[in-house]
Amino acid sequence: MTDIKEQENIFNLIGSNLKKKIKCYVIGGSAMLYYKLKNVTKDIDIVLCSENDRQCILNTMKELGYAERNPKILYVNKKNVPILMQRGDDRFDLFNRTIINLRFSENMEKRSKIVYEYGNLIANIVSPEDIIILKCATDRAGDRLDAGSIIKNTNINWNILVEESINQMNLVGDVIPLSLYEFVFELKEDLKIEIPDEFIKKLEIKCDNILNERLKKGTTVRVTKFKHKK
Amino acid sequence: MESIELAKRLEGLSTLKMVQNKLNVKKSTAIKILSILRKEGYVETFGGGKKPRLYKISPIRIAGKENLGLYDIINKHSKIKIAKPVEHKIMDRRLSVEEALPMAVKDGNFRLVLASLGLFNYIKDWPELCHYAKKYDAGRKIGALYDVAKTIIRVKRMDKRTRNALLKSKVKNKAIVQYARTKDYKNIEKKWNVNIPFNNSDLMRYKE
Repeated sequence: MTDIKEQENIFNLIGSNLKKKIKCYVIGGSAMLYYKLKNVTKDIDIVLCSENDRQCILNTMKELGYAERNPKILYVNKKNVPILMQRGDDRFDLFNRTIINLRFSENMEKRSKIVYEYGNLIANIVSPEDIIILKCATDRAGDRLDAGSIIKNTNINWNILVEESINQMNLVGDVIPLSLYEFVFELKEDLKIEIPDEFIKKLEIKCDNILNERLKKGTTVRVTKFKHKK
Repeated sequence: MESIELAKRLEGLSTLKMVQNKLNVKKSTAIKILSILRKEGYVETFGGGKKPRLYKISPIRIAGKENLGLYDIINKHSKIKIAKPVEHKIMDRRLSVEEALPMAVKDGNFRLVLASLGLFNYIKDWPELCHYAKKYDAGRKIGALYDVAKTIIRVKRMDKRTRNALLKSKVKNKAIVQYARTKDYKNIEKKWNVNIPFNNSDLMRYKE
């Protein structure tokens, strides 16, 4: 488990050892630490803009004693898994633009409004809305609780979630609004999180339209838990 | 009502009167609520005295607020203030005025460069400025901007050694702000071989 102080120390260590300036985006639980929405995180999730940057950080981390681990242990049956680095209890997930079935879009970059400089490591903290979208992609144990905590403690702009899910669908091809619908529906039903009905209705209509369009085209969508509200 | 709920409801920039109206409470209650929220880190206050007291309320409390960033340094020292497009913080060291100035010039944003001219009067260590100017690839640009600043505001005297070092330094790009060029400072442009982005009238904001 890593808290904010430890995370800052690690970033400082990496930043001071990097040979050139590297921009990265902090997502997931580590981003929540900066928003004071969480006290500790299991792993530090970072998105790099290119494979070159990822290799650069990877080499620096190896020099600092981090070892590469098999990501399949944590991300079972998932594609586009990150490079997993571990040193003692500190665990790093290094993504390169693609996070499981989502792509770190330009809009996400624009929405990240907090920049911390740790020597040569420039850490951009993603917005709370994007943390929820990305939590929806990773869908690990505890991700729903984290998303619930974000919704409880911040004023979420729900329109951003709808727009980004549609944008993601255009980028990666999967029906992301459907995954998001399932994710927020479970948040509302199981965890009793207050989510505006308008948003769910809007998402539902979008999903219906997308599925009807796909049906007309003759393409199918793999649906696991889609619950249609009667 | 919990503090976080109040902060979510009051999010944005408000005056005391606006808080009273939003919550439909007495003035004394509104003061009490704002005081509690400030203690918990949800409120920042601005103004006061002749200006109206403004309360910036946000449910998000970011970590590392005590560290300084580029925009904090400029807004602290310069007469021209700028809105923060991002919350920028330097975490591994204390950002000095000497480093902030070349950093602002390297960013190449017109408003940022204009506001950064006010920092020249707070430079104490000229060799340090020279060091950072070279590091951020803005040596001659800093020299030229110093001469521009000298025409309109009171600035401390740059020592000759630094001036010569800046004159000899190389920059990859002549433009301080891309596509912006003036006819008002031809002599300075010629001397430093860079493009000055400001007109005389732009700098009049320092005289207001």
